[in-house]
Amino acid sequence: MSPEADKKNWVGKSLPRKEENRLLRGRGKFSDDIKLREMLYLRFIRSPYAHAKIVSIDVSGAEALPGVVCALTGTEVAQQTQPFIEIGPDPFAKIKDYPLAVSKVRYQGEPLAAVVAESPALADDAAELVQVDYDPLDPVVDAENALTNKSILHEEAGTNLVWNGIFEYGDVEEAFRDAAYVVKVDHLHFHRFSSTPLENNVVIAQWNPKDERIYYQCNNSFPSFAIQFLAAHLGVHIDRIRVETSDIGGSFGIKITSYPQMAVCALASRKAGGRPVKWVETRSEHITSSAHGNERTFRDTRVALDKNGVITAITSRHIDDCGAYPRYEPLGCVIWSQVFPGVYRFKNARIDFSQAVTNKCPVGPNRGYSRMQHLWFLERVVDICAYELDIPADEMRLRNYIRPDEFPYTTPNGCVYDSGDYPKMMQLAKDLIGWDDWKTKQVIARKEGRLIGIGIGTTLDSGTNNFGQSQIVNPFLPYSGNSQGANCKLDIYGEVVVAVGSCPQGQGHETTAAQVVADVLNIHPDLITVRTGFDTERNVHTGFSGTYASQFAVSGLSAVHGAAQKLKAEMKRLAAFALETNEDDLEFGTGAQGPETRAKSTGKSINYWGLANLVNANSAALPPELYELTLNCRYIWRAPFKVPDTKKKYGSLTLTYAAQLHMAVVEVDCDTYIPRILDYVAVDDCGTVINPPIVEGQVYGATAHGIGAALMENCVYDAVGNMLTSTFSDYIPITAVNMPNVKYGHIETPSPHSYSGAKGMGEGGAAPIHTISAALQDALFASGIVIDDSFNNADSLFRALTAKEISQADKLVKVEKRV
Amino acid sequence: MLSQLGDEAKVLAGGQSLIPLMKLRFANPSHLVDLNFISGTSYIKEENNALRFGALTRHAEIEASPIAAKIPILHDCAAGIADVQVRNRGTIGGSLAEADPSGDWATVLITLPTEVRCLGRTGERSLPLSDFIKDAYTTTLAHDELVREVVLKVPPKGGGGAYLAFKRSAPVYPTASAAVQLTMEGDICKDAAIALGCVGLTAIRPKEAEAALRGQRITDKTKSAAMEAARIAADPQTDMRGSADYKRTLAAALVKRAIDIAIRRAAGQQVEVSHIYA
Ligand SMILES: Cc1cc2nc3c(=O)[nH]c(=O)nc-3n(C[C@H](O)[C@H](O)[C@H](O)COP(=O)(O)OP(=O)(O)OC[C@H]3O[C@@H](n4cnc5c(N)ncnc54)[C@H](O)[C@@H]3O)c2cc1C
Repeated sequence: MSPEADKKNWVGKSLPRKEENRLLRGRGKFSDDIKLREMLYLRFIRSPYAHAKIVSIDVSGAEALPGVVCALTGTEVAQQTQPFIEIGPDPFAKIKDYPLAVSKVRYQGEPLAAVVAESPALADDAAELVQVDYDPLDPVVDAENALTNKSILHEEAGTNLVWNGIFEYGDVEEAFRDAAYVVKVDHLHFHRFSSTPLENNVVIAQWNPKDERIYYQCNNSFPSFAIQFLAAHLGVHIDRIRVETSDIGGSFGIKITSYPQMAVCALASRKAGGRPVKWVETRSEHITSSAHGNERTFRDTRVALDKNGVITAITSRHIDDCGAYPRYEPLGCVIWSQVFPGVYRFKNARIDFSQAVTNKCPVGPNRGYSRMQHLWFLERVVDICAYELDIPADEMRLRNYIRPDEFPYTTPNGCVYDSGDYPKMMQLAKDLIGWDDWKTKQVIARKEGRLIGIGIGTTLDSGTNNFGQSQIVNPFLPYSGNSQGANCKLDIYGEVVVAVGSCPQGQGHETTAAQVVADVLNIHPDLITVRTGFDTERNVHTGFSGTYASQFAVSGLSAVHGAAQKLKAEMKRLAAFALETNEDDLEFGTGAQGPETRAKSTGKSINYWGLANLVNANSAALPPELYELTLNCRYIWRAPFKVPDTKKKYGSLTLTYAAQLHMAVVEVDCDTYIPRILDYVAVDDCGTVINPPIVEGQVYGATAHGIGAALMENCVYDAVGNMLTSTFSDYIPITAVNMPNVKYGHIETPSPHSYSGAKGMGEGGAAPIHTISAALQDALFASGIVIDDSFNNADSLFRALTAKEISQADKLVKVEKRV
Repeated sequence: MLSQLGDEAKVLAGGQSLIPLMKLRFANPSHLVDLNFISGTSYIKEENNALRFGALTRHAEIEASPIAAKIPILHDCAAGIADVQVRNRGTIGGSLAEADPSGDWATVLITLPTEVRCLGRTGERSLPLSDFIKDAYTTTLAHDELVREVVLKVPPKGGGGAYLAFKRSAPVYPTASAAVQLTMEGDICKDAAIALGCVGLTAIRPKEAEAALRGQRITDKTKSAAMEAARIAADPQTDMRGSADYKRTLAAALVKRAIDIAIRRAAGQQVEVSHIYA
């Protein structure tokens, strides 16, 4: 294949999205739109207790209801299946995770039985007739408490500690010995929140008794992962499981872990004689039991700084709460270390990282997964140190940022940051927000007794994982590197058709894939059909296919690019034969008969139909040496990774590092304590931009999600594990009326690690959470308040500002001055 | 019909309280009697210095009504209830009959002389709103009695009011709200009616706060006194919308802001207000 440079006619253009026509006219096809003959409806029976023994379950009343086809209990499932694969090592590898609770329930909302009926309403009625006797156990709702092991969730493991590891680099002791200042922060806490996709989880499963194949139509967002879990659990060959996704109304990572529900639907379909079974999650089910983001506590942080406020070392103890079952965990125990030093230059650090199970909803990879918690922690540390050393927050960052001339930058733990220019992003953000102006206004406002703060949040969105990092949590795991597949073909009549192994949820993959292929073939993107949505039967997926972890622009489009190049090379060989010339004489373009290949020397051309016809329908004209051409080209792109050193926890963990720098001006009202965003700027750098409006849209979405998380969205449990925020009256997703006007800016530092210079993006590094915490902190330092939680609302600010002893800061932060 | 069906039957107006409860299976009526097809139940009329609202008048109709706009506090309320979908369906009669402690209408209407006209098997009766709502989710309606009309007196000259709520987002009930209706004569407050919403089982009239304003020139000091009285009168519960202490403080702060706007409106100024969103 000749790696000939593409013309850049389409990549980088603000091409309107191909999928808009369908989605904006209400013609999207979502899983719940699918209605099948003989379809049945499944309803889960869920635990009202956070932690309890199941004494008995009686489904006979439900089964007797006319219209009910069958019921399924955990015990039955356990007899028919293997427990799900555990990613972590022993002793947690010993736990038995079934999709329906078997002998005990471990969180409120955990399913323990299911009923299947002719209509959704009948299934609801039947669910009310299921009788369950519980024997309540002591609930554990706090991860640090869980680690005392007073009440054990999983007896097979004998402990609530899922994983522990020490990440140590450089010479920490020396750095503290030489420090001019040591700042200690007793504790910080990153709260539990989730995502609110417009469309909840939906599964339709059919276990066909005729051919023993399972057909899923669903909106799982990482089907390659799901089928690996399901095949082992259900005891079927992986090729017998077909997963098809169509349009998906948002996932944000939360739909990765819907495989337990997928398992139940398949088993229910088998029990119902092979009729298709549909489960449509309700909103409350989604909030209480789909998946939450990881909650994390940061203890005993010590920061060493030199006399100029340059951070030289950090030590800290982090405790992550993964809810009742690890599922995708303990991958989060290493994924944060993709951004180990954040955007900063410090070389010495020791982080003692633990993860515990608690009687709360299991976590799933929520947008910004595992990195945002850590990045928030670093941004808090930086602001606290800046304040204690009396250095302005912007200046503090500039002194500590990795410098533009240091890229590619190798972090203390061996990650390679591809490119970036954080000072330039800061300057752009300052220009957009009017930094000096706001600083002046702030001084005046303070004199009037108003509480105004200006905050900066710098963060990273690391994309395209090296799955070899999973071996840091469990050396026995058979995963490393990263790959993505794509297929590009000329169909019988010469249409260009691209298939990808991703399952987009609004990221515009149809459009960007078409842009890439359009440049390879030098034709208009409208002439390219992109089949998105995952389908195992298209055979384009690899073990890592799906849409997650900010990577499509790199892994997905590299695969598409490779497949298109492969197709082009085949087309060239064919065209050289047909036009009786050599390959160097050919050019690609569009002629009077559509897209074609032309001989420059003779001016003769052959269009795509002509080429496709030679291979597919007119093959007697084809010489045997061209028989190997298929015009149906599958390409697998692989990221150039090595397996990390699992002992030292060292190696390249991600390929690209997009950066976000946000600024916010926030006022806390002195009467109502309501925090109000007065100004907001989001500056993004995701390398070379493939489609500017798509990138901008992702930035707005991530910004809204982050502002919601910072001020409105909080999963609250009471002391016995009741979830207090199980409806939209209490769990408040952000809406347009809550959004400030966001000023958007971007810079481009092309990535040397991707063929196009693009970096993965979309998760957004939770920049608004860091930024709003920073702005509130700036407003409240003078009142002696340290923002020690990532969630702040009017009520919590009221409590902080009216607390009896306002000198909370003295207790939380201590400074040792040695100069 | 309702008497025949017995007390497990319920009437359906906008369905914006009843249907969500049925969906959660908290309500399980044996029959639903749909009022939406009865003509002549949705209207806004001005007669003899009084406004009359048919029980099935939608929040959105009141929001858009030029007649209702003459009493700005009504517009503040109607325009701030939930979102467009809810306002297009929900009715003023249903809201009062539901007597939700977080409902906006009762809080606002209680600051105006409001009568609820009810229709039962034995005929009609009319009673002041403060007697109509007895407790949270409880009215004096018999199970076979309907709200027919809501009648309120147009405030006198010098009247001005404002209604403010803090909501975490549009389709969520307020954390606290305050309605203030003043009658001003020059810069003296001749009469004051104040109600606090979402901070008790029913809307609360903080009489001391009203007394702090009545007959006074309104200064920062009188406002502070009213705020303090409102803080004390509020009787909220801690829930996911906020702690009881916070809600008290918030209700008082909203009273202060509503007083400021009411004064400007009483002086004939056009003041647009909107609820505060998180
Ligand atoms: C998402 C959402 C958010 C909301 N937010 C708010 C808010 O912020 N503020 C607010 O005030 N309201 C809010 N509401 C409620 C809304 O205002 C309702 O419309 C109102 O509470 C009830 O009116 P309805 O016409 O919908 O009554 P329905 O739901 O039809 O009925 C409510 C009850 O009253 C009875 N009833 C109805 N009409 C009559 C009548 N004429 N005579 C006798 N009994 C009757 C019914 O039998 C039923 O018991 C919200 C609703 C939703 C769904």
